[in-house]
Amino acid sequence: MDIQELETTAALAQIELGQGDLQKLGDAVSQMLDNFRKMNELDTTGLEPTTHALVKDNRVRPDSVEPSHLADALVERSPELEDRFLVIPNVL
Amino acid sequence: MDTLETRWKQFSAKKTAYLAYAKPLEQKVHSFLSFRPEAATAGAGPLAGLPFAVKDNIAVKDFPLTCGSKMLESLNSPYTATGVARLEAAGATVIGKTNLDEFGMGSSNEQSAFGATHNPWDVSRVAGGSSGGSAAAVAAGLVPFALGTDTGGSVRQPASFCGVYGLKPTYGTVSRYGMTAYASSLEVMGIASKSLELTRKVYDLMKGRDEHDQTSLDPEPGNTRQVKTIAVLDGLTDLEPAVEKAYQATLKTLRDLGYTLLPVHLGTLDYAVAAYYTIATAEASANLARFNGIRYGLRPVYAENPEDLIRKSRTAGFGDEVKTRIMLGTYVLRSGFQDQYYTKAQKVRTAIRNELQTVFDRADLLLTPTFPTRAFAHGDKSMTPYQQKLADKFTVTANLTGVPALSFPAAVEDGLPVGMQFTAPAFEEARLFEAAARFATVVGVPDCPGTSLDWSK
Amino acid sequence: MYQTHVGLEIHIHLNTESKVFCGCKAHFGDEPNTNVCPVCMGYPGVLPVLNEHALELAYIVSRALNCELSKRTLFDRKNYFYPDMPKNYQITQFHEPVGQHGTIEFALPDGSVKKVRIHDVHLEEDAGKMIHAGDMTLLDYNRAGYSLLEVVTEPDLNSGEEAEAFLHAFQRVVRYLGVSDGNMEEGSMKCDTNVSINTVGAGLGTKVEIKNLNSSRFVKKSIEYETRRQATVLEGGNKVSQETRLWNENRDVTETMRTKEGGLDYRYFPEPDLPPFVPDAAFLKRIEVAQVELPLARKLRLAREFGLTREQADFVTDHRFTAEFFERAAQLTGGVPHAAGVAIANWLMGDVQKELNHFSLTLEASPLTADRLAQLQKLLDSGRIHSKIAKTLLVAVFEEDKEPEALLKEKGLEALTTEDQLAPIVEGVFAAHPAVVEAVKAGDARQKGFLVGQVMKATGGRAAPDLVNALLAKRLG
Repeated sequence: MDIQELETTAALAQIELGQGDLQKLGDAVSQMLDNFRKMNELDTTGLEPTTHALVKDNRVRPDSVEPSHLADALVERSPELEDRFLVIPNVL
Repeated sequence: MDTLETRWKQFSAKKTAYLAYAKPLEQKVHSFLSFRPEAATAGAGPLAGLPFAVKDNIAVKDFPLTCGSKMLESLNSPYTATGVARLEAAGATVIGKTNLDEFGMGSSNEQSAFGATHNPWDVSRVAGGSSGGSAAAVAAGLVPFALGTDTGGSVRQPASFCGVYGLKPTYGTVSRYGMTAYASSLEVMGIASKSLELTRKVYDLMKGRDEHDQTSLDPEPGNTRQVKTIAVLDGLTDLEPAVEKAYQATLKTLRDLGYTLLPVHLGTLDYAVAAYYTIATAEASANLARFNGIRYGLRPVYAENPEDLIRKSRTAGFGDEVKTRIMLGTYVLRSGFQDQYYTKAQKVRTAIRNELQTVFDRADLLLTPTFPTRAFAHGDKSMTPYQQKLADKFTVTANLTGVPALSFPAAVEDGLPVGMQFTAPAFEEARLFEAAARFATVVGVPDCPGTSLDWSK
Repeated sequence: MYQTHVGLEIHIHLNTESKVFCGCKAHFGDEPNTNVCPVCMGYPGVLPVLNEHALELAYIVSRALNCELSKRTLFDRKNYFYPDMPKNYQITQFHEPVGQHGTIEFALPDGSVKKVRIHDVHLEEDAGKMIHAGDMTLLDYNRAGYSLLEVVTEPDLNSGEEAEAFLHAFQRVVRYLGVSDGNMEEGSMKCDTNVSINTVGAGLGTKVEIKNLNSSRFVKKSIEYETRRQATVLEGGNKVSQETRLWNENRDVTETMRTKEGGLDYRYFPEPDLPPFVPDAAFLKRIEVAQVELPLARKLRLAREFGLTREQADFVTDHRFTAEFFERAAQLTGGVPHAAGVAIANWLMGDVQKELNHFSLTLEASPLTADRLAQLQKLLDSGRIHSKIAKTLLVAVFEEDKEPEALLKEKGLEALTTEDQLAPIVEGVFAAHPAVVEAVKAGDARQKGFLVGQVMKATGGRAAPDLVNALLAKRLG
């Protein structure tokens, strides 16, 4: 994978790569991609992709309110708060 | 009830003796990220009084949920996973959270942000991964059983390295609610224990449909046929000699026990690792996107804007292996590459399912080694992260197809345990237990030296 | 000459009690971050659990829009980072949406009917809310996980005016179906547009997406602005660039948000946490049962059956309740349908509306029922009251919440329609005003009105005017 592709991918993943990382992670990623390409040897014509390992019946839940009673506990876990709002810097 | 279970039932009454036994051992092994045996209480129910350990990517209310990552170092879980809650309801108590490769990504436990776990059989060696802490804690006699998560072999491989049983149940039979997602379509909660009977009991208590997990299932009633035919792979190569030796001995034992061994060829097995890592990393790239330092987790000291905050949090919070897998998963899903990688892998997965089905049309179980090597040494240059991934070839098939598999202690070679693996059709856990129990009647694998239940006397 | 092509992406909040993938209350206006749980806050280890009612409403809308209904619907993850989105992927539908390839007809302002094709209808989750305050952004996740339905049209609309009319028609459809409030001002309906222009007959041009449209008026204005802007670009010999633009409501212009090059790659893939849903016969039956006659069909039918003008038909079918009220009242009134229909429509558009405004009530909440309005009209038709009394009775119904018949008796307002009832009163007026009588007899016709007025006054307005005139004429010789 070239540097350009690596950087595009890192940007999509919201990860910053320093110079050393580019080399190290780039090599590791490329090595795995080479391995993945071996899948092309296997003829999969006519096969549907498996997206769910085992599927039985429909699963839904009724539309009823079931409060978690955890709202306060969740708010408290945020690194920065203003009243009950979670805070991040603004786009300036 | 076996002796192990009986002895452990006295745990809460003999905590002082336990602590005197456990603390020095744990210092050597480092299997726990949080360890709170003092708080344990004697509950009521089928597991009354039994302490257990939980891999630290599984939520237990008011315990840390670090996932072995700096990202979540400060997070306490506000809720409890369904599987854990069911065991607590049966009288068992969580006494600690065990070490793991960061977010379950690794086969050595060396990817933990908080230092690796050491193998109790030889502390210069790894405990395996990613549920290395759980397997090591069990092997060291610190708990009668421990929960892990198995995405591509993460319970079975460390169980093999540490000489204990490691069960990967049928996908969905144990709820994933509360299990930090790495690869959602592949993983399931698993159990490590020295006792096969306790493993089965814990599985029975955890299994079944959960309203918090719509992929969870009630196991279908298994057909009661006895295991007669066991498939074995034709032309198995690249095994470490000690593993090869144990494998041959296992074949002989099974034959002696009266099983018919049926050689089979699994052509798709060569592509299982590629398909597995394509799918696992793709799903991981989305599953780990939620970690951004906003609602919880690592927050940078300073950020100019939201994007800067998210990027700094993720860059500082994730280790290299996690970053590599996120990058890989992001790439294989990108438009222009998705068909070639991700979709192709899902089709390969179908091919593997189909081929495995043909095996189970003719055989009751499949036997393979769990891993091509025994526990390797810390810093072993021949076991790079890439080599470790390739070595997952025997375990990932069960994850790709959703079927259950069990790693069982089969031998000790030069002081290190070797595990073998039975794989069964979906919902046929009973066959795994049946065959492993029969095997254990003739092959006794000793406990890890230096461990005992003597503290309970 | 250029032609404008407009497609819409409409989002509506579905009327569900709880969120689409967790049990939190779906409710606006509560304290920030109170209707949240580990699932909608994106905690590690949690899983989405699909709300059946949300899925059912999605199928109901798809069916109403004549879509092909998915036999195996599936959810997908749409991956992008944004602070208001807890998981940094949105659970939506990409590969197998609930409905595809539909059509909807609606009326243009000139009354003609236009057909728009529906690309697809899919169910997804809403994000939280971001409030910008100085150097901080405040986050509230109460809205995160609301059930959101997205309806995507083909670019079949050709002007801002058409788009606005379409939105109003769509709003009526979802309200008729009872699936959403469809209120753009309150945020329960949102709309993004894509606009392209090209020489007439040359097909679509380069597509520009416009976001931040908080009312149907902005949709109209932004399309008109964008049409002019793109025409200027083309006339200058340049190419329109494919991009996303934001509507600036203060300056009435669209502004570049992001260009195609910096565009996002959403990396859609099937959501492994939610198994596919295969609607069974019972489910599909419920979808059929929930179907209603849609506003346009109803309008055309009512206009035909009851002889309504376009204005009347528009008015009575704007809300489903009004339409049902109208139809029932007109049927109960009986007689010639056209006469009854026009009479009821006039009531609804005139005096009833006036009283509703006066009492600040909706028709639904008011004491006036279709049955009561029909009673009133029947009293009029039978001559037992005349129109002035009818209006008095209508007010009484609003004030006292009683049947018009009962009020009529209670207040003694029934018209005096026989000679026996009126002759003595006429006698009395003649006796009281001999001078006026003489003047009228002498030919002063203007004074006759005074006598009529006196009779009316004496009867509290209940005297049938025709009979009064006849009696006066007779008595005056």
